[in-house]
Amino acid sequence: MRTTEVLLVDDNPADTDLTTEVLARNGCPSHICAVTNGAEAIAFLRRQGKYVHAGVPDFVILDLSLPGKDGRAVLAEVKADPILRKIPIAIFSTSEARQDIMRSYELGANCYVSKPGNLRDFISAVTSIGEFWFGLARLPREEER
Amino acid sequence: MVFTAENVSSARAFVSSANSGRATGECSQVAPCHRSGCPRCEPEAKDSGKTNTRLRLLMVEDNPADVELMLITLRKDGFEVFGDVAQSPEEFSSRIQAASYDLILADYNLPQWKGTEALEILCRENLDVPLIVVTGYLGEEKAVDYIKQGATDCVLKDHLARLPVSVRRALEEKQLRDQRRRSEEELAQKVAELARSNAELEQFAYVASHDLQEPLRMIATYTQLLAERYRDKLDEQANKYIAYSVDGAVRMQALIQDLLKFSRVGKAAIEPRTTDCRMIVEQALKNLQAAVEESGAVVKWHGLPTVMADLSQLTQVFQNLIANAIKFHGSEAPVIQIAAEKKDNEWVLTVSDNGIGIPAENWQDIFVIFRRLHTRTEYEGNGIGLSICKKIIERHGGKIWIEAQAQPGSCFKFSLPAEPMAQTTLAAHA
Repeated sequence: MRTTEVLLVDDNPADTDLTTEVLARNGCPSHICAVTNGAEAIAFLRRQGKYVHAGVPDFVILDLSLPGKDGRAVLAEVKADPILRKIPIAIFSTSEARQDIMRSYELGANCYVSKPGNLRDFISAVTSIGEFWFGLARLPREEER
Repeated sequence: MVFTAENVSSARAFVSSANSGRATGECSQVAPCHRSGCPRCEPEAKDSGKTNTRLRLLMVEDNPADVELMLITLRKDGFEVFGDVAQSPEEFSSRIQAASYDLILADYNLPQWKGTEALEILCRENLDVPLIVVTGYLGEEKAVDYIKQGATDCVLKDHLARLPVSVRRALEEKQLRDQRRRSEEELAQKVAELARSNAELEQFAYVASHDLQEPLRMIATYTQLLAERYRDKLDEQANKYIAYSVDGAVRMQALIQDLLKFSRVGKAAIEPRTTDCRMIVEQALKNLQAAVEESGAVVKWHGLPTVMADLSQLTQVFQNLIANAIKFHGSEAPVIQIAAEKKDNEWVLTVSDNGIGIPAENWQDIFVIFRRLHTRTEYEGNGIGLSICKKIIERHGGKIWIEAQAQPGSCFKFSLPAEPMAQTTLAAHA
């Protein structure tokens, strides 16, 4: 299994830490970069500014509620970009609102996972994301190689 | 041309100086002249009981003598008349736009224009000023035509005695129309305000629920993580405190979830269709299968009707009521009876049980959101079920209440309209 480059977009450092930790602990060979807002996420993906040397991620985990440019805007922008649109994006948000789920898929999200409200379920959700996307699913980048 | 109490005696002169350039509608001399014996100002004895009604008049008339005659007739009847005369459509238009008149008296056949064109101008300008056709001769058919076009009445110049009665009626009708329009406007405004504040409230509950979830999830998740990571480093007391924090956060999460559910009931559109209550009860029981089996509950129903209701929402009502009947059971296994009765234009459905019952003093407040009668250790739950039932039933145009029954237990009743509700009624409840 090769290393999967993951971009984690979440303004909550605790969640970023825990998600990173859980992914690493479950033996998913991934390299995780984290940014805390939408503008940075776009800059990272477009390799602009301080991210000029950043690697193109294989997979993005995106929170919806972000300061400034929120997750919906990031999602819309990435999925409208002919090059970036291939990168699978998992929405990982506290919101269980039907409209958020619908809107995310309309904008082209590849999956929507609600952040569970307690530790055990949270760990199990992140584990499942890792197992599926970095283990089972075939990702576009490796196909290019 | 302007006429007032002072100058009306020379109405002819004003008619001939129609373009004298006096400001339209400017009437500084509005009061009667009060000269003793003045036939225009001094009401006759028989009219002395009537109160003076100020009347701003626009007359479409080319004959000064007729103008004077009409004014005298009205003043004799207690009207304090002032206003203007218009002799062309242009003059009529500019006057009607510049000033607000109480009444228009229009001759229907003037040399330059048909006085009744005034009706068309009023209609075009969207002005509601009563117009009475006062004319020398008018066939019955023509009169009907004018009334159809919007004239309030037709009075023949030979029968001017009828004019005051006709004027009073026109004014009364106008007043009623104004009142009705004002009430309609007020009502429309109130409805709009209500709808807005309702929407704001729903939005508030919704946003608050989502934004409150996030920090709570943090507290719950990371105190749990703390407990797990430091299990061996903390003493018993510390673990207890952590358990309290986690419990508090988890409970708060549940409350917010329930608040969200409650708010969703208010937001969801009702799709009323012909719904068989038997099917609904069966579905509710299917959803409650585990609880029914565990408690050994017996649910009996008979004579359940077909009603107009939203399938999923009505299922929710039955499900909440049956679940409560099971949860608050007495020493014996729950026996739940569901029945229906038609009263006038509505169906009254009853869900009664043999459980612990509800003290009569709580029969009202039990439907308030988060109202509970027991501690969390006695019975779990947040006190959301009945408030949701109430909201659903009220949105269907019905009511829900508790009634006394002979045997121990509780007896919930709710009504649903028997006839399909009009869309407007639904919208009003939405």
